[in-house]
Amino acid sequence: MTILKKVRENLFLAIIALAYIIMFIAKPSMGIESVKNSGYYIKEMLMIMPVIFVLTALLDMWVPKEKIMRYLGKDAKAKGVFLSFVVGSISAGPIYAAFPMCVMLHKKGASLRNIIIILSSWAVIKVPMLLNEAKFLGLKFMAIRWVLTVIAIIIFSWISAKIIKDEDLPGEVLTHPGLHINREACMGCTLCAKNYPALFEIKGKKADIKAYGQKSFDLEHLQSTIEACPVHAIEYFEG
Amino acid sequence: MDIFTLAIWIGTLIFLGVSFAKDKVKTKQALIMALGMGKGMVVSILSIIFAIGLILTILPPSDIAAFVSNQSVLLATVVAALFGTITLVPAFIAFPLVGTLVGAGVSVVPAVAFLTTLTMVGVVTFPLEKKEFGIKFTAVRNSLSFLFAIAIALVMGVII
Repeated sequence: MTILKKVRENLFLAIIALAYIIMFIAKPSMGIESVKNSGYYIKEMLMIMPVIFVLTALLDMWVPKEKIMRYLGKDAKAKGVFLSFVVGSISAGPIYAAFPMCVMLHKKGASLRNIIIILSSWAVIKVPMLLNEAKFLGLKFMAIRWVLTVIAIIIFSWISAKIIKDEDLPGEVLTHPGLHINREACMGCTLCAKNYPALFEIKGKKADIKAYGQKSFDLEHLQSTIEACPVHAIEYFEG
Repeated sequence: MDIFTLAIWIGTLIFLGVSFAKDKVKTKQALIMALGMGKGMVVSILSIIFAIGLILTILPPSDIAAFVSNQSVLLATVVAALFGTITLVPAFIAFPLVGTLVGAGVSVVPAVAFLTTLTMVGVVTFPLEKKEFGIKFTAVRNSLSFLFAIAIALVMGVII
């Protein structure tokens, strides 16, 4: 049962492993070639991945995002556009980690246009990645692509805001009192479990809430844990 | 280690040192966050890398380059952009991959289209995005990103 569950959780990896086994039986030379090809990318990844993650986490920690987010409303215009680019390009995590955060920002009054800018720059304009792009594709390539992408995002976010209305987004979800974790947003960074181990744990690579029953908990401690979450996946409603 | 990677390492280490001097607790939290993010992503990243290794053996970059150069630029660009939408690939794998393709002779325009949709448009994440933002928002954002990925690529072809 557990093996089956593991395979289902890592379905993509299982398929790849199977393909390699077939390849090694049918054409061993091509199997070796594939491993060699992969080796090149693994080497490149090991050189850059640790430092990118540390840099991203540091930026996430030191740039006062909460303050920036107050300026993303409809009246902010150019300033809002600029700050949205900043939020998107310094944030940690893959693009799907940005979805719940952007929904929250929209509820707090950020305009649709700025949300689209955050999502798009989150995907393509990562500050820590600029040098990496220059290394593989050249400085000129990187600079031109960067400028063009920023221009493109400015234009198509404006078009999108003309097509989509605020009402097209799903309305407020009913909020039940208590503690919630948005597990789809969680990227398993383990900060909450380290900050407040009595309340949070990591289950299957994602954060989970331990049974806390009627026991009361330290609200201040909880608040600082909620604020530390890089993707704002933890919510608490007093009931 | 090349100069660009070295620059990131040195810059980050300085940043880390300043951060540590200013606030030990915050810095420790950032390091825990970085480690957790890495752990959470390492399996899926390795799967993607081994998949790329396999695909590049069956379809060598030089064959891809030969195929692309036989097509009209527009068609090649649209097809490259379509391939990029299938899944979302982390940028630090996307860059060396596109670097390999360009090095093998794939022209810049389709390569840029592929690179942009690779990181920005994802069929795999579509259901997740739809659930959070609704169908209209998701459809508009993804299709406009796709169109502009092609526009970026074409303009880049003119400039470079």
